[in-house]
Amino acid sequence: MFGDVPYRTGALVKHNLILRLRDPGQLISYMVTPMVLMLLLKPLYTKAYSGPLNGGVVQAVTGQMVMFSVFAMAIVGNSIFIEREWRTWDRLRASSATKGELLVGKSLPVYAVLVLQQIVLIYYGCLVVGMPAPKSVGLLVLGVAVWGFTLMAMGSALATLVRSRGDLMMASDVGSIAVSALGGALLPVALMPGWARHVAPVSPGYWGLRMTQAAVNGHAGEMMRAASICLAIGVAAGSVAAYRLARGWGRSRLA
Amino acid sequence: MLQATDLTKRFDDVQALDGFSLEAAAGEIVGLVGHNGAGKTTFVEMVSGLQNPDSGEIRVDGRTPARARDRIGISPQHIALYRSITVREHLRLYGRLAGLRPAALRSRIDDLAAELRLTGFLDRPAGLLSGGQQRRAQAATALIHSPGLLLLDEPTAGADPETRQALLEAVKRRAGEGAAVVYTTHYLHELSELQATIAVASRGRIGARGSAAELLDGLPGEVLVGAADGDQVVTTTDVTSTLLELLGTVRGPVEKIELRPANLDDLYRSLAVSDVR
Repeated sequence: MFGDVPYRTGALVKHNLILRLRDPGQLISYMVTPMVLMLLLKPLYTKAYSGPLNGGVVQAVTGQMVMFSVFAMAIVGNSIFIEREWRTWDRLRASSATKGELLVGKSLPVYAVLVLQQIVLIYYGCLVVGMPAPKSVGLLVLGVAVWGFTLMAMGSALATLVRSRGDLMMASDVGSIAVSALGGALLPVALMPGWARHVAPVSPGYWGLRMTQAAVNGHAGEMMRAASICLAIGVAAGSVAAYRLARGWGRSRLA
Repeated sequence: MLQATDLTKRFDDVQALDGFSLEAAAGEIVGLVGHNGAGKTTFVEMVSGLQNPDSGEIRVDGRTPARARDRIGISPQHIALYRSITVREHLRLYGRLAGLRPAALRSRIDDLAAELRLTGFLDRPAGLLSGGQQRRAQAATALIHSPGLLLLDEPTAGADPETRQALLEAVKRRAGEGAAVVYTTHYLHELSELQATIAVASRGRIGARGSAAELLDGLPGEVLVGAADGDQVVTTTDVTSTLLELLGTVRGPVEKIELRPANLDDLYRSLAVSDVR
Protein backbone atom coordinates (compact mmCIF):
# COMPACT_ATOMS: atom_id res chain seq x y z
CA MET A 1 0.00 0.00 0.00
CA PHE A 2 2.66 2.54 1.07
CA GLY A 3 4.83 1.31 -1.81
CA ASP A 4 2.22 2.76 -4.11
CA VAL A 5 2.63 6.27 -2.69
CA PRO A 6 5.72 7.20 -4.77
CA TYR A 7 4.20 5.48 -7.80
CA ARG A 8 0.98 7.48 -7.60
CA THR A 9 2.80 10.70 -6.71
CA GLY A 10 5.13 10.18 -9.66
CA ALA A 11 2.12 9.72 -11.94
CA LEU A 12 0.63 12.98 -10.71
CA VAL A 13 3.91 14.90 -11.03
CA LYS A 14 4.35 13.64 -14.58
CA HIS A 15 0.76 14.48 -15.44
CA ASN A 16 1.06 18.04 -14.11
CA LEU A 17 4.39 18.49 -15.83
CA ILE A 18 2.78 17.55 -19.14
CA LEU A 19 0.02 20.07 -18.46
CA ARG A 20 2.61 22.81 -17.87
CA LEU A 21 4.63 21.90 -20.96
CA ARG A 22 1.50 22.02 -23.15
CA ASP A 23 0.86 25.58 -22.05
CA PRO A 24 4.26 27.34 -21.99
CA GLY A 25 3.11 30.78 -23.17
CA GLN A 26 2.94 32.52 -19.81
CA LEU A 27 6.32 31.23 -18.68
CA ILE A 28 8.01 32.34 -21.89
CA SER A 29 6.40 35.76 -21.57
CA TYR A 30 7.49 36.13 -17.95
CA MET A 31 11.05 35.20 -18.87
CA VAL A 32 11.56 37.20 -22.03
CA THR A 33 9.93 40.45 -20.89
CA PRO A 34 12.14 40.94 -17.80
CA MET A 35 15.20 40.09 -19.88
CA VAL A 36 14.43 43.00 -22.19
CA LEU A 37 13.50 45.34 -19.33
CA MET A 38 16.69 44.55 -17.42
CA LEU A 39 18.76 45.80 -20.34
CA LEU A 40 16.58 48.86 -20.89
CA LEU A 41 16.40 49.88 -17.24
CA LYS A 42 20.03 49.22 -16.33
CA PRO A 43 21.32 52.71 -17.36
CA LEU A 44 18.45 54.40 -15.55
CA TYR A 45 19.00 52.52 -12.30
CA THR A 46 22.77 52.95 -12.50
CA LYS A 47 22.36 56.73 -12.72
CA ALA A 48 19.59 56.98 -10.14
CA TYR A 49 20.93 54.55 -7.59
CA SER A 50 23.12 56.03 -4.90
CA GLY A 51 23.80 52.75 -3.12
CA PRO A 52 26.97 50.69 -3.18
CA LEU A 53 28.97 49.96 -6.32
CA ASN A 54 26.92 47.98 -8.85
CA GLY A 55 23.78 48.69 -6.79
CA GLY A 56 21.98 49.91 -9.91
CA VAL A 57 22.72 46.73 -11.85
CA VAL A 58 21.68 44.57 -8.92
CA GLN A 59 18.44 46.57 -8.69
CA ALA A 60 17.81 46.22 -12.44
CA VAL A 61 18.25 42.44 -12.33
CA THR A 62 16.73 41.51 -8.97
CA GLY A 63 13.92 44.06 -9.26
CA GLN A 64 12.77 42.70 -12.60
CA MET A 65 13.27 39.15 -11.43
CA VAL A 66 11.12 39.69 -8.35
CA MET A 67 8.51 41.64 -10.30
CA PHE A 68 8.07 39.00 -12.98
CA SER A 69 8.28 36.13 -10.55
CA VAL A 70 5.31 37.74 -8.80
CA PHE A 71 3.59 37.91 -12.19
CA ALA A 72 4.32 34.19 -12.53
CA MET A 73 1.88 33.59 -9.69
CA ALA A 74 -0.65 33.69 -12.51
CA ILE A 75 0.86 30.42 -13.77
CA VAL A 76 0.21 28.86 -10.38
CA GLY A 77 -3.28 30.33 -10.29
CA ASN A 78 -4.10 29.08 -13.77
CA SER A 79 -2.80 25.59 -13.04
CA ILE A 80 -5.29 25.31 -10.18
CA PHE A 81 -8.08 27.23 -11.81
CA ILE A 82 -8.26 24.91 -14.82
CA GLU A 83 -8.86 22.03 -12.41
CA ARG A 84 -11.93 23.90 -11.17
CA GLU A 85 -13.02 24.99 -14.62
CA TRP A 86 -12.61 21.53 -16.17
CA ARG A 87 -14.05 19.81 -13.06
CA THR A 88 -11.01 17.55 -12.99
CA TRP A 89 -9.98 18.15 -9.39
CA ASP A 90 -12.97 16.29 -7.95
CA ARG A 91 -12.38 13.51 -10.45
CA LEU A 92 -8.83 13.18 -9.09
CA ARG A 93 -10.12 13.32 -5.51
CA ALA A 94 -12.33 10.33 -6.30
CA SER A 95 -9.29 8.31 -7.40
CA SER A 96 -7.03 6.23 -5.15
CA ALA A 97 -4.63 9.14 -4.67
CA THR A 98 -4.58 10.66 -1.19
CA LYS A 99 -4.98 14.38 -0.55
CA GLY A 100 -1.28 14.65 0.23
CA GLU A 101 -0.32 12.95 -3.04
CA LEU A 102 -2.63 15.22 -5.00
CA LEU A 103 -1.16 18.34 -3.39
CA VAL A 104 2.44 17.24 -3.90
CA GLY A 105 1.74 16.13 -7.45
CA LYS A 106 0.16 19.48 -8.23
CA SER A 107 2.76 21.61 -6.46
CA LEU A 108 6.08 20.18 -7.56
CA PRO A 109 5.91 20.97 -11.30
CA VAL A 110 4.61 24.49 -10.65
CA TYR A 111 7.29 25.04 -8.04
CA ALA A 112 9.88 23.84 -10.53
CA VAL A 113 8.61 26.40 -13.05
CA LEU A 114 8.93 29.23 -10.51
CA VAL A 115 12.44 28.18 -9.50
CA LEU A 116 13.49 27.74 -13.13
CA GLN A 117 12.31 31.25 -13.98
CA GLN A 118 14.34 32.81 -11.16
CA ILE A 119 17.47 30.81 -11.95
CA VAL A 120 17.32 31.69 -15.65
CA LEU A 121 16.81 35.40 -14.91
CA ILE A 122 19.66 35.59 -12.37
CA TYR A 123 21.95 33.68 -14.70
CA TYR A 124 20.98 36.02 -17.53
CA GLY A 125 21.51 39.01 -15.24
CA CYS A 126 25.05 37.92 -14.48
CA LEU A 127 26.00 36.89 -18.01
CA VAL A 128 24.29 39.56 -20.11
CA VAL A 129 23.32 42.51 -17.92
CA GLY A 130 26.53 42.57 -15.94
CA MET A 131 25.40 41.85 -12.41
CA PRO A 132 28.36 40.67 -10.33
CA ALA A 133 28.37 36.98 -9.49
CA PRO A 134 26.54 36.31 -6.20
CA LYS A 135 28.88 36.24 -3.23
CA SER A 136 27.20 33.12 -1.85
CA VAL A 137 25.58 30.66 -4.21
CA GLY A 138 24.20 28.74 -1.21
CA LEU A 139 22.34 31.80 0.08
CA LEU A 140 21.00 32.54 -3.37
CA VAL A 141 19.76 28.97 -3.85
CA LEU A 142 18.04 29.17 -0.47
CA GLY A 143 16.51 32.52 -1.38
CA VAL A 144 15.23 31.21 -4.71
CA ALA A 145 13.77 28.15 -3.00
CA VAL A 146 12.01 30.20 -0.31
CA TRP A 147 10.69 32.83 -2.74
CA GLY A 148 9.41 30.10 -5.07
CA PHE A 149 7.54 28.52 -2.17
CA THR A 150 6.05 31.86 -1.11
CA LEU A 151 4.84 32.64 -4.62
CA MET A 152 3.44 29.16 -5.11
CA ALA A 153 1.50 29.36 -1.85
CA MET A 154 0.14 32.84 -2.58
CA GLY A 155 -0.86 31.92 -6.14
CA SER A 156 -2.55 28.72 -4.98
CA ALA A 157 -4.50 30.50 -2.26
CA LEU A 158 -5.62 33.12 -4.74
CA ALA A 159 -6.83 30.51 -7.24
CA THR A 160 -8.83 28.65 -4.62
CA LEU A 161 -10.62 31.77 -3.42
CA VAL A 162 -11.62 33.63 -6.61
CA ARG A 163 -14.99 33.04 -8.23
CA SER A 164 -14.13 33.35 -11.91
CA ARG A 165 -11.28 33.46 -14.40
CA GLY A 166 -11.86 37.21 -14.73
CA ASP A 167 -11.44 37.60 -10.98
CA LEU A 168 -8.24 35.58 -11.13
CA MET A 169 -6.77 37.69 -13.95
CA MET A 170 -7.76 40.91 -12.22
CA ALA A 171 -6.35 39.82 -8.87
CA SER A 172 -3.16 38.53 -10.51
CA ASP A 173 -2.52 41.68 -12.51
CA VAL A 174 -3.42 44.25 -9.88
CA GLY A 175 -1.90 42.19 -7.07
CA SER A 176 1.34 41.59 -8.96
CA ILE A 177 1.82 45.24 -9.82
CA ALA A 178 0.95 46.34 -6.27
CA VAL A 179 3.07 43.69 -4.55
CA SER A 180 6.14 44.19 -6.72
CA ALA A 181 5.94 47.97 -7.13
CA LEU A 182 5.27 48.63 -3.45
CA GLY A 183 7.99 46.15 -2.60
CA GLY A 184 10.56 48.22 -4.48
CA ALA A 185 10.96 46.02 -7.54
CA LEU A 186 10.13 48.81 -9.98
CA LEU A 187 11.55 51.77 -8.12
CA PRO A 188 14.03 51.34 -5.26
CA VAL A 189 12.31 51.86 -1.90
CA ALA A 190 14.77 54.63 -1.05
CA LEU A 191 13.48 56.67 -4.01
CA MET A 192 9.80 56.13 -3.30
CA PRO A 193 7.56 58.81 -1.68
CA GLY A 194 7.45 58.83 2.10
CA TRP A 195 4.04 57.17 2.42
CA ALA A 196 5.10 54.36 0.07
CA ARG A 197 8.29 53.77 2.06
CA HIS A 198 6.14 53.22 5.14
CA VAL A 199 3.74 50.88 3.37
CA ALA A 200 6.42 48.89 1.53
CA PRO A 201 7.11 46.31 4.31
CA VAL A 202 3.48 45.18 4.12
CA SER A 203 4.17 43.85 0.63
CA PRO A 204 5.57 40.30 0.29
CA GLY A 205 7.50 41.66 -2.70
CA TYR A 206 9.47 43.91 -0.34
CA TRP A 207 10.74 40.89 1.60
CA GLY A 208 11.28 38.88 -1.55
CA LEU A 209 13.43 41.64 -3.01
CA ARG A 210 15.34 42.23 0.22
CA MET A 211 15.98 38.51 0.52
CA THR A 212 17.22 38.21 -3.06
CA GLN A 213 19.43 41.29 -2.89
CA ALA A 214 20.85 40.21 0.46
CA ALA A 215 21.56 36.78 -0.99
CA VAL A 216 23.30 38.30 -4.04
CA ASN A 217 25.38 40.58 -1.80
CA GLY A 218 26.18 37.74 0.62
CA HIS A 219 24.50 39.33 3.67
CA ALA A 220 23.46 36.18 5.49
CA GLY A 221 21.76 37.80 8.53
CA GLU A 222 19.55 40.14 6.52
CA MET A 223 18.78 37.38 4.04
CA MET A 224 17.67 34.95 6.76
CA ARG A 225 15.45 37.57 8.40
CA ALA A 226 13.70 38.32 5.10
CA ALA A 227 13.52 34.60 4.29
CA SER A 228 11.77 33.82 7.56
CA ILE A 229 9.13 36.48 6.84
CA CYS A 230 8.64 35.10 3.31
CA LEU A 231 8.32 31.60 4.76
CA ALA A 232 5.71 32.76 7.25
CA ILE A 233 3.69 34.37 4.44
CA GLY A 234 4.05 31.18 2.41
CA VAL A 235 2.94 28.91 5.25
CA ALA A 236 -0.12 31.06 5.94
CA ALA A 237 -1.16 31.24 2.28
CA GLY A 238 -0.26 27.59 1.73
CA SER A 239 -2.50 26.52 4.60
CA VAL A 240 -5.45 28.30 3.04
CA ALA A 241 -4.75 26.72 -0.34
CA ALA A 242 -4.22 23.21 1.06
CA TYR A 243 -7.45 23.42 3.06
CA ARG A 244 -9.47 24.51 0.05
CA LEU A 245 -7.86 22.00 -2.32
CA ALA A 246 -8.32 19.10 0.08
CA ARG A 247 -12.04 19.88 0.42
CA GLY A 248 -12.61 20.41 -3.29
CA TRP A 249 -15.37 22.60 -4.63
CA GLY A 250 -18.19 20.12 -4.92
CA ARG A 251 -20.92 21.56 -7.07
CA SER A 252 -20.24 25.18 -6.22
CA ARG A 253 -20.48 27.12 -9.42
CA LEU A 254 -17.88 29.30 -11.03
CA ALA A 255 -19.19 32.67 -12.09
CA MET B 1 -20.96 -4.84 -2.89
CA LEU B 2 -22.66 -1.49 -2.07
CA GLN B 3 -24.76 -0.84 0.99
CA ALA B 4 -25.97 2.69 1.68
CA THR B 5 -28.23 3.05 4.69
CA ASP B 6 -30.40 5.96 5.77
CA LEU B 7 -28.22 8.73 4.36
CA THR B 8 -29.03 12.35 5.04
CA LYS B 9 -27.35 15.45 3.67
CA ARG B 10 -28.31 19.09 3.90
CA PHE B 11 -26.84 21.94 1.81
CA ASP B 12 -27.83 25.22 3.46
CA ASP B 13 -31.63 25.21 3.20
CA VAL B 14 -31.86 22.24 0.81
CA GLN B 15 -32.33 18.72 2.16
CA ALA B 16 -30.52 16.83 -0.63
CA LEU B 17 -30.79 13.38 0.95
CA ASP B 18 -33.38 12.44 3.51
CA GLY B 19 -33.15 8.79 4.51
CA PHE B 20 -31.65 7.55 1.25
CA SER B 21 -30.94 3.80 1.27
CA LEU B 22 -29.74 1.70 -1.65
CA GLU B 23 -27.98 -1.61 -2.15
CA ALA B 24 -26.31 -3.05 -5.22
CA ALA B 25 -25.11 -6.64 -5.31
CA ALA B 26 -22.17 -7.95 -7.34
CA GLY B 27 -23.29 -8.39 -10.95
CA GLU B 28 -26.38 -6.21 -10.48
CA ILE B 29 -27.15 -3.09 -12.48
CA VAL B 30 -29.20 -0.59 -10.50
CA GLY B 31 -30.77 2.12 -12.60
CA LEU B 32 -31.07 5.18 -10.40
CA VAL B 33 -33.68 7.53 -11.83
CA GLY B 34 -35.43 10.63 -10.58
CA HIS B 35 -36.06 14.26 -11.38
CA ASN B 36 -33.22 16.77 -11.23
CA GLY B 37 -32.63 17.55 -7.59
CA ALA B 38 -33.93 14.18 -6.39
CA GLY B 39 -30.56 13.38 -4.81
CA LYS B 40 -28.97 11.09 -7.42
CA THR B 41 -25.74 13.01 -7.93
CA THR B 42 -25.35 13.77 -4.22
CA PHE B 43 -25.60 10.04 -3.58
CA VAL B 44 -23.03 9.23 -6.28
CA GLU B 45 -20.66 11.85 -4.87
CA MET B 46 -21.01 10.34 -1.41
CA VAL B 47 -20.21 6.85 -2.61
CA SER B 48 -17.22 8.33 -4.47
CA GLY B 49 -16.01 9.84 -1.21
CA LEU B 50 -16.41 13.42 -2.45
CA GLN B 51 -19.13 14.27 0.08
CA ASN B 52 -19.72 13.03 3.60
CA PRO B 53 -23.25 12.26 4.76
CA ASP B 54 -24.63 14.18 7.73
CA SER B 55 -25.84 10.82 9.01
CA GLY B 56 -26.18 7.27 7.73
CA GLU B 57 -23.61 4.80 6.53
CA ILE B 58 -22.04 3.67 3.25
CA ARG B 59 -20.10 0.44 2.80
CA VAL B 60 -18.36 -0.67 -0.37
CA ASP B 61 -17.16 -4.23 -0.09
CA GLY B 62 -17.43 -3.79 3.69
CA ARG B 63 -15.24 -0.66 3.70
CA THR B 64 -15.92 3.07 3.85
CA PRO B 65 -15.81 4.82 0.47
CA ALA B 66 -12.53 6.53 1.40
CA ARG B 67 -10.90 3.13 1.99
CA ALA B 68 -12.48 1.47 -1.03
CA ARG B 69 -11.46 3.89 -3.77
CA ASP B 70 -9.41 1.26 -5.53
CA ARG B 71 -12.65 -0.74 -5.91
CA ILE B 72 -14.70 2.15 -7.32
CA GLY B 73 -14.81 3.49 -10.87
CA ILE B 74 -16.63 6.76 -11.43
CA SER B 75 -17.82 8.60 -14.49
CA PRO B 76 -19.22 11.95 -13.29
CA GLN B 77 -22.26 13.65 -14.73
CA HIS B 78 -20.21 16.44 -16.29
CA ILE B 79 -17.24 15.89 -18.57
CA ALA B 80 -14.14 16.07 -16.38
CA LEU B 81 -11.25 15.73 -18.84
CA TYR B 82 -8.09 17.81 -19.31
CA ARG B 83 -8.50 19.46 -22.70
CA SER B 84 -4.79 19.51 -23.52
CA ILE B 85 -4.18 15.91 -22.46
CA THR B 86 -4.71 12.97 -24.79
CA VAL B 87 -7.05 10.07 -24.12
CA ARG B 88 -4.08 7.74 -23.70
CA GLU B 89 -2.52 10.09 -21.14
CA HIS B 90 -5.79 10.23 -19.21
CA LEU B 91 -5.97 6.44 -19.12
CA ARG B 92 -2.32 6.18 -18.08
CA LEU B 93 -2.91 8.66 -15.26
CA TYR B 94 -5.99 7.00 -13.82
CA GLY B 95 -4.54 3.53 -14.39
CA ARG B 96 -1.37 4.42 -12.50
CA LEU B 97 -3.35 6.07 -9.71
CA ALA B 98 -5.21 2.77 -9.37
CA GLY B 99 -1.88 0.95 -9.10
CA LEU B 100 -1.69 -0.65 -12.56
CA ARG B 101 1.91 -1.25 -13.64
CA PRO B 102 3.10 -0.09 -17.10
CA ALA B 103 2.97 -3.40 -18.97
CA ALA B 104 -0.51 -4.30 -17.71
CA LEU B 105 -1.64 -0.75 -18.29
CA ARG B 106 -0.55 -0.74 -21.93
CA SER B 107 -2.57 -3.79 -22.84
CA ARG B 108 -5.51 -2.60 -20.73
CA ILE B 109 -5.58 0.72 -22.61
CA ASP B 110 -5.58 -1.05 -25.96
CA ASP B 111 -8.38 -3.41 -24.93
CA LEU B 112 -10.50 -0.64 -23.49
CA ALA B 113 -9.97 1.61 -26.49
CA ALA B 114 -11.16 -1.17 -28.79
CA GLU B 115 -14.18 -1.89 -26.60
CA LEU B 116 -15.26 1.77 -26.41
CA ARG B 117 -14.36 2.56 -30.02
CA LEU B 118 -11.61 4.97 -29.05
CA THR B 119 -8.65 3.37 -30.81
CA GLY B 120 -8.42 6.05 -33.48
CA PHE B 121 -8.57 8.85 -30.91
CA LEU B 122 -6.17 7.61 -28.25
CA ASP B 123 -3.52 10.19 -29.06
CA ARG B 124 -5.89 13.10 -29.56
CA PRO B 125 -6.23 15.78 -26.85
CA ALA B 126 -9.58 15.54 -25.09
CA GLY B 127 -10.41 19.12 -26.08
CA LEU B 128 -10.42 18.10 -29.74
CA LEU B 129 -12.82 15.19 -29.29
CA SER B 130 -16.53 15.30 -30.09
CA GLY B 131 -19.02 15.18 -27.24
CA GLY B 132 -19.66 11.48 -27.75
CA GLN B 133 -15.94 10.66 -27.88
CA GLN B 134 -15.43 12.61 -24.66
CA ARG B 135 -18.22 10.62 -23.02
CA ARG B 136 -16.55 7.36 -24.03
CA ALA B 137 -13.12 8.58 -22.93
CA GLN B 138 -14.53 9.58 -19.55
CA ALA B 139 -16.19 6.19 -19.15
CA ALA B 140 -12.86 4.56 -20.03
CA THR B 141 -11.18 6.34 -17.10
CA ALA B 142 -13.79 4.72 -14.85
CA LEU B 143 -13.24 1.25 -16.30
CA ILE B 144 -9.43 1.28 -16.60
CA HIS B 145 -8.79 -0.59 -13.32
CA SER B 146 -11.68 -3.08 -13.61
CA PRO B 147 -13.49 -1.78 -10.51
CA GLY B 148 -15.90 -3.88 -8.47
CA LEU B 149 -18.34 -0.98 -8.22
CA LEU B 150 -19.11 1.28 -11.17
CA LEU B 151 -20.78 4.64 -10.59
CA LEU B 152 -22.00 6.06 -13.88
CA ASP B 153 -23.79 9.38 -13.50
CA GLU B 154 -25.80 10.03 -16.67
CA PRO B 155 -23.03 8.56 -18.85
CA THR B 156 -25.03 8.90 -22.06
CA ALA B 157 -26.36 12.43 -21.55
CA GLY B 158 -26.29 14.09 -24.96
CA ALA B 159 -24.50 11.10 -26.49
CA ASP B 160 -24.90 9.91 -30.08
CA PRO B 161 -26.28 6.40 -30.78
CA GLU B 162 -22.79 4.92 -31.33
CA THR B 163 -21.61 6.18 -27.95
CA ARG B 164 -24.78 5.02 -26.23
CA GLN B 165 -24.45 1.56 -27.71
CA ALA B 166 -20.76 1.23 -26.86
CA LEU B 167 -21.36 2.32 -23.28
CA LEU B 168 -24.37 0.08 -22.73
CA GLU B 169 -22.45 -2.92 -24.06
CA ALA B 170 -19.49 -2.12 -21.80
CA VAL B 171 -21.76 -1.80 -18.77
CA LYS B 172 -23.47 -5.11 -19.50
CA ARG B 173 -20.09 -6.79 -19.91
CA ARG B 174 -18.82 -5.45 -16.56
CA ALA B 175 -21.96 -6.60 -14.77
CA GLY B 176 -21.56 -10.00 -16.44
CA GLU B 177 -18.04 -10.12 -15.01
CA GLY B 178 -19.40 -9.47 -11.51
CA ALA B 179 -19.21 -5.71 -11.06
CA ALA B 180 -22.03 -3.89 -9.30
CA VAL B 181 -23.23 -0.92 -11.34
CA VAL B 182 -25.14 2.17 -10.24
CA TYR B 183 -26.35 3.87 -13.41
CA THR B 184 -28.19 7.17 -13.17
CA THR B 185 -30.15 8.22 -16.21
CA HIS B 186 -33.32 9.86 -17.48
CA TYR B 187 -33.68 7.29 -20.27
CA LEU B 188 -35.89 4.38 -19.19
CA HIS B 189 -35.28 2.42 -22.38
CA GLU B 190 -31.56 2.20 -21.54
CA LEU B 191 -32.42 0.54 -18.26
CA SER B 192 -34.67 -1.92 -20.07
CA GLU B 193 -31.81 -2.77 -22.41
CA LEU B 194 -29.46 -3.21 -19.44
CA GLN B 195 -32.09 -5.35 -17.67
CA ALA B 196 -31.49 -3.16 -14.66
CA THR B 197 -33.52 -3.03 -11.51
CA ILE B 198 -34.82 0.50 -11.10
CA ALA B 199 -34.59 2.66 -8.00
CA VAL B 200 -36.59 5.87 -8.18
CA ALA B 201 -35.16 8.75 -6.17
CA SER B 202 -37.66 11.30 -5.03
CA ARG B 203 -37.10 14.12 -2.53
CA GLY B 204 -33.87 12.71 -1.20
CA ARG B 205 -34.86 9.10 -0.74
CA ILE B 206 -35.69 6.00 -2.75
CA GLY B 207 -39.42 6.18 -3.38
CA ALA B 208 -39.83 2.93 -5.27
CA ARG B 209 -37.73 0.03 -6.47
CA GLY B 210 -38.35 -2.82 -8.89
CA SER B 211 -38.29 -3.72 -12.58
CA ALA B 212 -39.71 -1.22 -15.08
CA ALA B 213 -42.82 -3.35 -15.60
CA GLU B 214 -43.43 -3.64 -11.87
CA LEU B 215 -43.03 0.07 -11.26
CA LEU B 216 -45.23 1.22 -14.13
CA ASP B 217 -47.93 -1.39 -13.58
CA GLY B 218 -51.19 0.27 -12.54
CA LEU B 219 -50.03 3.81 -13.33
CA PRO B 220 -52.26 5.88 -15.59
CA GLY B 221 -51.28 6.65 -19.18
CA GLU B 222 -53.02 8.92 -21.68
CA VAL B 223 -55.58 8.40 -24.43
CA LEU B 224 -55.90 11.04 -27.14
CA VAL B 225 -58.66 11.11 -29.72
CA GLY B 226 -58.49 13.81 -32.37
CA ALA B 227 -61.41 14.91 -34.52
CA ALA B 228 -62.47 17.92 -36.58
CA ASP B 229 -64.01 19.57 -33.52
CA GLY B 230 -60.79 19.25 -31.47
CA ASP B 231 -58.61 16.82 -29.50
CA GLN B 232 -59.67 15.06 -26.33
CA VAL B 233 -57.00 13.82 -23.93
CA VAL B 234 -57.85 11.66 -20.90
CA THR B 235 -55.50 10.26 -18.27
CA THR B 236 -56.57 6.75 -17.35
CA THR B 237 -55.54 3.34 -16.10
CA ASP B 238 -58.21 1.64 -18.23
CA VAL B 239 -57.17 2.46 -21.77
CA THR B 240 -59.71 0.29 -23.61
CA SER B 241 -62.85 1.53 -21.85
CA THR B 242 -61.68 5.13 -22.01
CA LEU B 243 -60.94 4.90 -25.71
CA LEU B 244 -64.37 3.44 -26.43
CA GLU B 245 -66.00 6.15 -24.34
CA LEU B 246 -64.17 8.90 -26.19
CA LEU B 247 -64.94 7.43 -29.59
CA GLY B 248 -68.62 7.42 -28.65
CA THR B 249 -68.55 11.15 -28.04
CA VAL B 250 -66.84 12.15 -31.28
CA ARG B 251 -68.91 13.81 -34.00
CA GLY B 252 -67.66 13.26 -37.50
CA PRO B 253 -64.61 11.30 -38.64
CA VAL B 254 -61.80 10.47 -36.17
CA GLU B 255 -58.53 11.99 -37.40
CA LYS B 256 -56.11 10.44 -34.93
CA ILE B 257 -55.86 8.14 -31.94
CA GLU B 258 -52.82 8.13 -29.64
CA LEU B 259 -52.27 5.83 -26.69
CA ARG B 260 -49.41 6.77 -24.40
CA PRO B 261 -48.53 4.14 -21.83
CA ALA B 262 -47.33 5.21 -18.39
CA ASN B 263 -43.72 6.34 -18.36
CA LEU B 264 -41.12 7.55 -15.87
CA ASP B 265 -42.66 11.01 -15.67
CA ASP B 266 -45.94 9.48 -14.58
CA LEU B 267 -44.06 7.51 -11.96
CA TYR B 268 -42.28 10.65 -10.70
CA ARG B 269 -45.59 12.48 -10.55
CA SER B 270 -47.27 9.71 -8.61
CA LEU B 271 -44.38 9.64 -6.14
CA ALA B 272 -44.49 13.41 -5.76
CA VAL B 273 -48.22 13.27 -5.05
CA SER B 274 -47.77 10.52 -2.47
CA ASP B 275 -44.93 12.55 -0.85
CA VAL B 276 -47.23 15.54 -0.49
CA ARG B 277 -49.91 13.35 1.06
